[in-house]
Amino acid sequence: MLVAIAITVVKLLIYFGVLMTIVAYGTLAERKVAGHIQDRLGPLHCGPHGLLQPLADGIKLFFKEDITASKSDKVLYYLAPVIAVVPAILVLGVIPIGDYITIAGKKISLSIADINVALLYFLGVSSFGVYAIMLGGWAGNSKYPLLGGLRSAAQFLSYELLLGLSVIGVVMLVGSFSLKEIVHYQKDMWLFIKQPVAFIIYMIAAIAELNRAPFDLPEAESELVGGYHTEYSSMKFAMFFMGEYANMVVSSAIATCLFLGGWYAPSHYLSFIPGPIWFLLKVFALFFFMLWIRWTYPRFRYDQLMGFCWKYLLPFSLINILGTGLVVILRSGGL
Amino acid sequence: MIGPLIKGLRITFGHLFKPAITVKYPYEKREVAKRWRGRHLLRVDEQGRELCCYCGLCEAVCPANAIRIYGMEDPTFTRSDVGKIAEIYEIDYRRCIFCGFCAEACPRGAIVLTTDYELAEPEREKLLQTKEVLLEKR
Repeated sequence: MLVAIAITVVKLLIYFGVLMTIVAYGTLAERKVAGHIQDRLGPLHCGPHGLLQPLADGIKLFFKEDITASKSDKVLYYLAPVIAVVPAILVLGVIPIGDYITIAGKKISLSIADINVALLYFLGVSSFGVYAIMLGGWAGNSKYPLLGGLRSAAQFLSYELLLGLSVIGVVMLVGSFSLKEIVHYQKDMWLFIKQPVAFIIYMIAAIAELNRAPFDLPEAESELVGGYHTEYSSMKFAMFFMGEYANMVVSSAIATCLFLGGWYAPSHYLSFIPGPIWFLLKVFALFFFMLWIRWTYPRFRYDQLMGFCWKYLLPFSLINILGTGLVVILRSGGL
Repeated sequence: MIGPLIKGLRITFGHLFKPAITVKYPYEKREVAKRWRGRHLLRVDEQGRELCCYCGLCEAVCPANAIRIYGMEDPTFTRSDVGKIAEIYEIDYRRCIFCGFCAEACPRGAIVLTTDYELAEPEREKLLQTKEVLLEKR
């Protein structure tokens, strides 16, 4: 019993550390990728090639003056940044970065919690994120955050639906909500080959839920100053930022589990490289893809955003579900 | 609809590997043209005598009124070959527009503009530069 608790605590610490490191260096990666895409260099001063920039940013944010808007709703004002970070960290608990490892004759599962409804848990917990933005927008008692929060609520609801629908195809094929079983199913063929539409819709919905360009309407700088985090400064602002990057990592990780074969190597020749490394490589690839998208496409107009979701993506995902259902029925012995 | 999106992604990915045009300024400096108009220099001749003879043409021609000049006699001809030098020669870099008229107007080529463009100062008062700074050191 004690050993099991100790193992879980160690796993928690390692996973949390890895996530926070990726989040910190994600901000650097974003700036570097942005720089190079625009033929610049990005941060260079702190450390070799700017590698210590996240540290410098952290120190700066910690020592900045923490401004509280005087007529804000204090409880919600302090609660919102916390809610921004927590869901991402909670989802971390169900992500299987590998199958099992054996240490001292003991078989240790590489995910913190192997729950059989991991996917539902992910969908449930990640939809908490909208509260952070809505409450953050409301509590600041300022018009720009409020507008950002409103936009975000509508956007989040629409795309949350898509996220759920895109996942259904995978669940129908695998017949399980457990992320480990979904990964096991992909041992020979990754699911994005069988479910390309679902993969594309998942990625679009994930980017839209993260409020990243081209769906970054809740924080549209040119219209809403800073959107929902206009009234936040110092570490509270940093929490929103951390939440965004942690959510990016976590969404990439879930997409890896669902569509990119989790910890399995692309071919058997490459399976000498351990699973967790493959997993992280795939997560980084998707993370890079999100950065790449951000620095390529301009922002959607609000009606385009809603129209795109309800008129195009929703019917496509419904057709995808129907098609998948048909295939499943035909495979299992016809109608 | 999909085609242009992919084309856009391809363009940005291509730029990712192009060499950046950034000049890492404090570490590496841009080559400027030989005729660059930067900080002024009051020239001296081989014997260390100042070329400026206080004719006042630079002060008169300066469109920004950035130059203040006041002369004095040099009867011993140790500091000048014509017996007159500028006692005060100030250029106010808060006003100077680097047009180079002063250098053009100067009949003896005593004032020239160098390629030194790093003129920023943390205090405004320091931008008023006197002869000690401007005089060429030999």
